[in-house]
Amino acid sequence: MKGSALKPLSQSLLKLNLQTSLSFLSVVTTFIEKSAAILGLEEKEALLLTMAGEEIFSHLCQKAPDTEVEIQCSGAGYYVQIEFLIDVYNLDLKAFNLTTPIRPEEDAFQEDLGLILASRSVDRFQIWEEKGRGLHLCLIKEKVYPQGTDEVPLAARPLAEFFLKTPDREEIKLMARLALSQYPSQVLPVFFPFPGKVADMAAEKAFKAVVAVDPQGHMGGGILWYWRGAKIVACSGPYLFNQLQGSAIAEALVEAVLADIARTKAVGLLCRYPTADLPAKYFEPLGSFSFFPSEGSPLSITAYFRQLQEDPGAMVWSHPEMEPFLRQEFKRRTLPREIRTVTDFGEAKNPFSVLSPTFDRGRSLVTLQPVRPGRDGENNLRDHLEILRKEQWRNIYFEMDLSKSWQVEFVPALYNNHFRPCLVLPYAGDGDLVLFQAEAPASQSAGNHL
Amino acid sequence: MDAHSLERLVPEYIRRFEAYIPSKPDDVLKKFYGCERLYRMNNNENPLGPPVQAQEVIRRFPPPRASIYPSGDSFHLREKLAETFGLHIDQFLVGNGANEVITFVIKAFCQEGDNIITADKTFAVYEWVAEFSGYEARLVPLKDFGFDDQEMLDRIDERTKILFVCNPNNPTGTYWDQGRLRRFLDRIEGRQIVVVDEAYAEFVAEDDFPDGISLIREYPNLVVFRTFSKMYALAGLRIGYLVGDRTVVDLIRRTCVVYSVNGLAQEAALLAVSDREHILRTREMVREGKAYLLPELERLGLPFVSGQGNFVMVKMPIDDGLVYRKLMAQGVMVRTMTGFRFPNYIRVTITHREALEALVEALAKVLTENRF
Repeated sequence: MKGSALKPLSQSLLKLNLQTSLSFLSVVTTFIEKSAAILGLEEKEALLLTMAGEEIFSHLCQKAPDTEVEIQCSGAGYYVQIEFLIDVYNLDLKAFNLTTPIRPEEDAFQEDLGLILASRSVDRFQIWEEKGRGLHLCLIKEKVYPQGTDEVPLAARPLAEFFLKTPDREEIKLMARLALSQYPSQVLPVFFPFPGKVADMAAEKAFKAVVAVDPQGHMGGGILWYWRGAKIVACSGPYLFNQLQGSAIAEALVEAVLADIARTKAVGLLCRYPTADLPAKYFEPLGSFSFFPSEGSPLSITAYFRQLQEDPGAMVWSHPEMEPFLRQEFKRRTLPREIRTVTDFGEAKNPFSVLSPTFDRGRSLVTLQPVRPGRDGENNLRDHLEILRKEQWRNIYFEMDLSKSWQVEFVPALYNNHFRPCLVLPYAGDGDLVLFQAEAPASQSAGNHL
Repeated sequence: MDAHSLERLVPEYIRRFEAYIPSKPDDVLKKFYGCERLYRMNNNENPLGPPVQAQEVIRRFPPPRASIYPSGDSFHLREKLAETFGLHIDQFLVGNGANEVITFVIKAFCQEGDNIITADKTFAVYEWVAEFSGYEARLVPLKDFGFDDQEMLDRIDERTKILFVCNPNNPTGTYWDQGRLRRFLDRIEGRQIVVVDEAYAEFVAEDDFPDGISLIREYPNLVVFRTFSKMYALAGLRIGYLVGDRTVVDLIRRTCVVYSVNGLAQEAALLAVSDREHILRTREMVREGKAYLLPELERLGLPFVSGQGNFVMVKMPIDDGLVYRKLMAQGVMVRTMTGFRFPNYIRVTITHREALEALVEALAKVLTENRF
């Protein structure tokens, strides 16, 4: 599933198949509301999700009437997800752009406003097209958890000996508390301040973790990892708690992660926000990007990556403007790639592009993913950037899959909007993924190196 | 029809499994990595090629014979194996490489809820076949780079059907001697099938190395795998076999796909199996290769694990995936060991001198470029 970061391995699933007709609206809202409650949302969150679902269904009824739609409601303790799957390809998706409300002069504003409100009332809203299946519209609402208290964790101490174990519920909460007390927030998962969520996510296998403990049960460190999409595993940590210089714990933790994923379908292990304790010899530097925290100077962060399989070589699409960057990166990292150039010879294009944002509120981070290309790509991107800046989002990215030539068409629009490529993740999409970062507004610039 | 709707037909244990993607052909790899020649040190192939008589039969294979089905159960080859090892012809089953006979055995003995036991850091196919067939693979950590017999015994329960022992182990080269294998079989007391994979047995010259085939009379629950891919250099023809007690092999035969082994492979294997001279020449080549390579690795400051077999495992100070790419760019292909759960190790086939020298030169360059 697209955007499946931190999704559990197993989840409850309810399905409803019907036609896009407003006469079924109450069936849809009842289905979503009841499902959300059964899957664990409180009344308020269930209602917000239901309202969002109602808006989506109403929109589909207007734009693609009498079409079969499948509505899936799934969840796993800490969140509920509603996914609409409709077998249409020519649907006008313009209204799903984040930027629609800044065009109030358009006739369709009132109907589009409902969609925008819908997308803002949930925690995540994603759109993507899948060949052979149609259009996916996905809404995710997370359970609300109380923030952990400021209770001081048990003091950690250097371990004379240790073994690794999968933490139980209390141990994973303790690991999160210890990490919160010793590491800056940018290297921590955004859910760490919420112990109940940490426990629920671990129970649902949204992530895996190992901790290093001594025979008396003292905790010396830990690491967690989770699937970021279908092919990449991301890790947070390793976190060491008051261990001596040269402790073997960090290497043991990373080796445990590698042993767990070595024979899976994962093609790479990503550590985007590494701690200072990351044993670099197990990784290669992926590249650097600027991180804009809520307070203080921007940080320059080097992300680390490790390929888990022998690289057989691949073809990638590029644009002349991006090619020097790609050539430099492929050479630096000895990545065997054949570059093919996308060029514009004035052929006809869709008038409107569509972008889908994914929000990481904890890091004030947005990642835009292209859903459709269009002649308005540059303006659409500019509008997105403008609205995201207005809403105080500090870290803005654009994710491009180099196996899809139509995504590469966004390159001039990205450069003209002051996005710059920063990371290449081999095979992280259908092909390599390139992350572009929006340059800082004039008032900010990268400073401290992390 | 929507192909995605067919996903509901797929068992859960298949959905979570990913197809193994083998290396691309050499010509494609060379193009991507921009190298003019490629030294293959990734698959433990024998650079001497097949035994002389096998080469001859390959050379003289009449093209019209390609239109004729081969013997469906490799009759003449099994006859020859029976004669060579002093056993009955029906104690042998021939497969399209040893990988196929692994599948035969697991299919024959396992059903839903059953498990197999093997090591965590060994040849992956036992684990893979069990898992994509829906059976649990219990993985016992290696101890001092070797199979841990006591821990394997401790992990047995009433649903354990097969224990797989790779002897010598790929990729560490460690082995159980005759006494240890016997003690293990004694403690199993015939309750489970014990598979001893002897893919690299012909490379071992040690006196205490057990000949698993000779133990089958005493231990009817013992099944031995052999291959023609390594020592006999017939990897391209895909042929291997299993041998066991007649009753056990009769059971396994029920899951066996007949006609899966081509005629040329059968004929070449038949002539290869008794070529003792070929074995001695190959062992000497491996001995000379290690005599050159191991001191060079020491000189470069690279720790290594070198046991039996035509391979050595080398510990690198950087990610083995990165090492692979950097060596490939210099025309040297090795096997990364992350997939074997040995992160940062590479496995190198012991081959002819020219290739080993190219490897040493390439490793030195990698180390120079990545000083830590």
